[in-house]
Amino acid sequence: MRTAIYWLSRIWRSDALSAFGLASLLLLIFLGIFGPLLPLGDPTQIAAGPRLGPPTPQHPFGTDELGRSFLPRVVQGIRATFLLSAIAVLISAMIGTFLGMAAGYFGRAVDIMVARGADILFAFPALLVGLLVAAVLGPGQVSAIAVIAIATLPLLIRVVRSVTLSVAGRGFVTAAEVAGASAGRILLLHILPNVMGAVMVQLTYALSIGMIIESALSFLGLGVQPPDASLGSLLRQGSAYLTIAPWMAMSSGAVLSLAIMSVNLVGDAVRDALEPLKGRDLT
Amino acid sequence: MSPLAEIRDLVISYRTGSGGLRALDGTDLILTPGETVAVVGESGSGKSTLGMAIGRLLPGEAHCEGGTLSVAGTDVLNADADTLRALRRDKLGFVFQNPMSALDPTMRVGKQVARAMGGKPGQKEIEALLTRAELSEPGRVLRAFPHELSGGMAQRVVIAMAIARQPALLIADEPTASLDASIREKIMATLNRLRDETGATLVVLSHDLRLIARHSDRVAVMYGGRVVEDGAVETVLDAPAHPYTAALLSAAAGSEKPGERLDPIPGMPPSLSGRCEACAFAPRCTFAREQCRTERPEPRVIAKRRVICHFAEDALAAPGAERRA
Amino acid sequence: MSTMPVINLKDINVTFRRRLIGGDAVHAVRGVSLSIGPGETLGLVGESGSGKTTLGRVCLGLLRPTSGTMRFDGQDFGRLRQRRGQLSVVLQHPEWALNPRLRCGVSVAEPLKILGAPAAARREAVARMLDQVGLTPDFAERYPGQLSGGQRQRVAIARALITEPRFILFDEAVSALDVSVQAQVLNLIVDLQEKLGFAALFISHDMAATRYVCHRIAVMLKGEVVESAPAETFYGTPEHPYSRALMEAVA
Repeated sequence: MRTAIYWLSRIWRSDALSAFGLASLLLLIFLGIFGPLLPLGDPTQIAAGPRLGPPTPQHPFGTDELGRSFLPRVVQGIRATFLLSAIAVLISAMIGTFLGMAAGYFGRAVDIMVARGADILFAFPALLVGLLVAAVLGPGQVSAIAVIAIATLPLLIRVVRSVTLSVAGRGFVTAAEVAGASAGRILLLHILPNVMGAVMVQLTYALSIGMIIESALSFLGLGVQPPDASLGSLLRQGSAYLTIAPWMAMSSGAVLSLAIMSVNLVGDAVRDALEPLKGRDLT
Repeated sequence: MSPLAEIRDLVISYRTGSGGLRALDGTDLILTPGETVAVVGESGSGKSTLGMAIGRLLPGEAHCEGGTLSVAGTDVLNADADTLRALRRDKLGFVFQNPMSALDPTMRVGKQVARAMGGKPGQKEIEALLTRAELSEPGRVLRAFPHELSGGMAQRVVIAMAIARQPALLIADEPTASLDASIREKIMATLNRLRDETGATLVVLSHDLRLIARHSDRVAVMYGGRVVEDGAVETVLDAPAHPYTAALLSAAAGSEKPGERLDPIPGMPPSLSGRCEACAFAPRCTFAREQCRTERPEPRVIAKRRVICHFAEDALAAPGAERRA
Repeated sequence: MSTMPVINLKDINVTFRRRLIGGDAVHAVRGVSLSIGPGETLGLVGESGSGKTTLGRVCLGLLRPTSGTMRFDGQDFGRLRQRRGQLSVVLQHPEWALNPRLRCGVSVAEPLKILGAPAAARREAVARMLDQVGLTPDFAERYPGQLSGGQRQRVAIARALITEPRFILFDEAVSALDVSVQAQVLNLIVDLQEKLGFAALFISHDMAATRYVCHRIAVMLKGEVVESAPAETFYGTPEHPYSRALMEAVA
């Protein structure tokens, strides 16, 4: 907890852009978690206002074709988009870290299998995988999570594998091997803590990619199903009325862009904080 | 002869998270044309900062707090960007410790050397330059990528690039530290031969007093961001006047007889946050007295060398101080 | 018993293949035979690429030789896990010698933990070892990032010695250290060996440091040992021209 606060304060102080990214990310997460408790209105209440009504003080993002207030719908969407991508990316991080460390440390046949597998996964476009998974599991939240996890897995495997390769060649790993340490001990005690930094950086990128994929799937109707909403499904809903009620597409689209941008800005700040002056040799 | 470079009372600090770190604490060094000067010191002594400062190649955290630095008539510390670029291009050549990080891994050697030479040199000229740096198969080398070269060959390529524009001052920072013992001597010999050919001044920064001194005319020993002893190699090595020079010589393996023990220097080099108002070496010095801990020693000339020590006469007279080398 | 060599290599060859199947074979070590007795330090000098490090890995059991026999304490080497606590290593880069995420005390105690020693015994042994390498007990609580290169190398030596191993490999253990610190670490190695009597292989390209700590020196060139002689010889004139070339860098 103390380290988390330390990192947050470090990003906050690093530069204006990172601070902006952190602030908007925290605001979005706050909205996602506490949105239902805030006095924003009921996202499912039909005819809360006029149909396709423009923004008013009562309905700041306007209303949709059923007269539902759009602001609570967007807040609901933030929650779904963040939650689905976060769950998927965490699953992908756990599997990816395990496979990447195994490939990097054991090498040979394990490495070839994992690395080639990652290449094959990487070669499939995420949307194609999405169509396949949706065809098998049916459209919905579970298949959205599966697609995001599959699409971000190769990113994590590759990074963890290459960091593991360099960590495994360091003196303390050799010393532990000579002392007779088991492979499990070396992986957990010596390699895992030293690849976590790289995993954290990659996680933020994977999260933004996950949000894009989730939105794309929901936009195509393969992700979150009505009456639930995600930013992607709201964008799809809004695109249908783009000419007569542009505030729907614009508000959900703007929030989605802000979310992805703030995740990326925070990711950059984390990377800069973890690897200052990388490649500089002044000794 | 008028000096090529004059460094007087130079003070350079790095801004760090917890206050400043003073790397140079009043460094004096004068370089005359055509000589080889060995700047010797442990890590943290400020020798690399000094080397980089000559070309104003310091990172953004470094800033100058005082002193003057002029190279070939240019006031380096106050020069504008164009003057500085012209100085680096025409007057200075740098050779760093790790040749592999000095070369671009994605570009063939020939192209990199051609860029260092400027203009559009033909294959013949590039090969001639590589031959001057004693690369045996220049035709093959210039078609190779850096990773295809051995460490020694890569360092020779870096040297060729450094001398491409006939610099007046060649600065080599630990040029042999990443190389095998058997190649070190040859690289140093090459550097000295090129110095003779071009009449340039060669400054070699190193922590290995013995190796470097063999190939130098003059040695400047750095400690705590100052040049504590500066004189002709034979003068300094035969009878060091600064206790630190003496300690460095007896700590290095190489001159001991079988069964003899090495004398390590106790303690750690200082890291200064401001001007040192005492002798920086006093905490580790066997000669240290009260005066050393309270008064900053100023440079003086004793027995044909410049030294910064209150009790240099005593160090010179101490038994075992002579003929250590 | 005491005259039995700890490490005994007979006609060791190591061949690498560039690729998994096919490809050129690289002969890293050719027909090397050597033995190291208890309390003896053998120096192995030669330039990089001469096969020193490969031979070191063979001695540690990290690499199976392509052909030849290796005996440890007169017996077949067996598996590395069976030799727990009998071997250890000190490597070149001080900045990578210790796991940056572990307190130094945990790193030093690790070989004992692998042997299954109880926590109290480990704590006591860590304090004793830190004292032996000239560090205060509070170093156990520090992280490697707070230590200088020489201090880290001392901690690494404490870790290497904590199980009182029969054999220690020093692979360029002092090369990255400053001259003044080098002398401290070299003296430490000499003193500890006199006290504890382990066999040691000291790999280095630095002839001066090697002859200071070693009893015998073997010179490697292109995978072969071209000269092997008592260290005193290397204060005079060694026989092989390559050894003489190495010596010139010292004299």
